[in-house]
Amino acid sequence: MENLIFEKKDLYNPIISTITNVEQLTDTEKRFEIALPENQILNHKPGQFVQVSIFGFGEAPISISSSPTKSPLFDLTVRNAGRLTDKMHRLTVGSQLGVRGPFGNGFEVNNFKGKDILFVCGGIGLAPTKSLIDYVLANRNDFGRVVILYGTKSPSEILFSDEIEKWKKDKSVELEISIDRPDENWKGKVGVITTLIPPLKLDVANTIATIVGPPVMYKFVLMALKGKRVPDENIYLSLERRMKCGVGKCGHCQINDTYVCQDGPVFHYPRVKELKEAV
Amino acid sequence: MSSTDVKSRLESFNCYYFDKDVTQKFISFLMKKGDVIAPHKTGELSYKYEIVSDATEVVLNYSRTILPLKKAFMPPRETLINFNIKNNQYTKPQISTEPKIFFGIHSYEMQSIKRLDYSFITGLPESNYLTRRENCKFIGVAYKPDEWHFAGSVGIDINETDGFCLYFYPAKNGYIVFEITDEGKNLLDEFGEGSEVTDEYLKLNEDKFQAKIKFHHNRIPEIFTHVYNSKVWEDVAQKCVGCGTCNLLCSTCYCYDVHDEIELDVENGQRDRFWDGCMLNKFAEVAGGENFRDNLGSRNRHRLYRKFKYITNQSDKLHCVGCGRCSRYCPANISLVEIVNDLIDDYTKQQQKEIL
Ligand code: SF4
Ligand code: SF4
Ligand code: FES
Repeated sequence: MENLIFEKKDLYNPIISTITNVEQLTDTEKRFEIALPENQILNHKPGQFVQVSIFGFGEAPISISSSPTKSPLFDLTVRNAGRLTDKMHRLTVGSQLGVRGPFGNGFEVNNFKGKDILFVCGGIGLAPTKSLIDYVLANRNDFGRVVILYGTKSPSEILFSDEIEKWKKDKSVELEISIDRPDENWKGKVGVITTLIPPLKLDVANTIATIVGPPVMYKFVLMALKGKRVPDENIYLSLERRMKCGVGKCGHCQINDTYVCQDGPVFHYPRVKELKEAV
Repeated sequence: MSSTDVKSRLESFNCYYFDKDVTQKFISFLMKKGDVIAPHKTGELSYKYEIVSDATEVVLNYSRTILPLKKAFMPPRETLINFNIKNNQYTKPQISTEPKIFFGIHSYEMQSIKRLDYSFITGLPESNYLTRRENCKFIGVAYKPDEWHFAGSVGIDINETDGFCLYFYPAKNGYIVFEITDEGKNLLDEFGEGSEVTDEYLKLNEDKFQAKIKFHHNRIPEIFTHVYNSKVWEDVAQKCVGCGTCNLLCSTCYCYDVHDEIELDVENGQRDRFWDGCMLNKFAEVAGGENFRDNLGSRNRHRLYRKFKYITNQSDKLHCVGCGRCSRYCPANISLVEIVNDLIDDYTKQQQKEIL
């Protein structure tokens, strides 16, 4: 048998990293700031994810919610939704966890330069988008308008309230928030995120739209953007799939012939239209 | 296919005659070189690849093993890392690279390993699989197709010798042993036994496949560009129970899941990977409960598209090798050949309609 000469890779060894800060964002979401050992740099692009693990509790994909401009530290925003994330929520500053990655393609930020950017974020979808928002704001002069649409169920679920306050004050950011189920104190807009789209005045030919949110949201947002005549080529989506390996082997993340962990999670909309099981 | 075809294909190789005794002696000779893994009988009609401890127990006229040879390179369960919860440290288990000789392997099975090589090398070459693949020799044997083998329909002849160093072909009271590679020749030279092949022994008759796909294998991927929405998938879904047997027993399926297991001391544990299958209900389900292939039609479709289209588009090879395991062991008697033939009928009808 001929020799199989390849640079073999140990794909499943996590890098043991340290939590340097924890912030409770909502009842169910925390932001963890992570440092790799020896000041290593994660070297990620906005929109990429890492596989986070805690021994005994398994591993799960978590998107990076900070911009590369924050390196060497990076943020993970995690909803307490399962065994691993529940354990993670009980970790404190100084605790260790395993990190593999970064995985996936991320946003092609260079294609966005000079353009107006419309960020459409539903619920926890603000976390991955924030890596891109932060990047754009850190390089503000490279981009045109920055419009952030954020829709979430209730006011108590609003993520990153500190940043949101900053964005509100920032004259170069247009921010619209809509709440599905408001409480008596909510004074802002009410309704699903798609209601924020029709009133927008956009130079559609020069606008890049990104969509990240729960699976049910995509169809409706895409319809609303179509209504505004945003060209398909200007739309990017980040898709959620079950990811077990992150390295294009385990098969869990596959949409037709495409591995979301490798060729995604960020997809150009024209590509998504060819995939039949995507949205 | 006539007997001369087989003859001409194998004829270019040097060959010897081994009677049954010499064959067993040869197995014992191989055992001195490393672990010999060969088919053993485990029941009336069931066979299993096992490490040989006694050369007389090796069975060379077998239909197929239940578990495919992939288990040697990607075990049903394997530890990726051993960890300690208290100090957050881990080690990766050593994978043995001791020499292994796989003896009595059918050609479709050899080709399944080539398909797996592709899958584990493409993109990021995985050390676990590739380390196990080091220092392996494969010695083939001809087989008589039963009603489920259909390797010929996916372009793999019974006497395809690619991948083997030696090839055993049944002859009167023994085997004709063909030297396929220099590695094989060296083994035979060192062994030093075996007699000249006389015409009396050399009666090569190629057996025929009973199960057949209606189209030539070169045309199979083309069918799959037209049948994504075929009604055939609904028909399959009516019968399939979603047990996942067809994935687990498939020679070329390699999807997996990963779990952490903690030992009783609650301090140590391991991260293990297990065979998984896209036919199982939860395979494509995400944390929020959304399932992107929530019905058996779409899951069967995904399984077949992975064999005949998705990976094939990249590798230029069909990733079904026609071993027949998925059909032989399906509790609902679903036959892959029948599905493909139904899809072909559907495709042919579509085309006729377009012409009219
Ligand atoms: S073995 Fe048969 S019943 Fe089980 S999942 Fe496969 S096709 Fe369905
Ligand atoms: S799909 Fe069926 S016949 Fe083809 S390789 Fe897999 S188990 Fe064998
Ligand atoms: S997460 Fe395993 S293949 Fe993509």
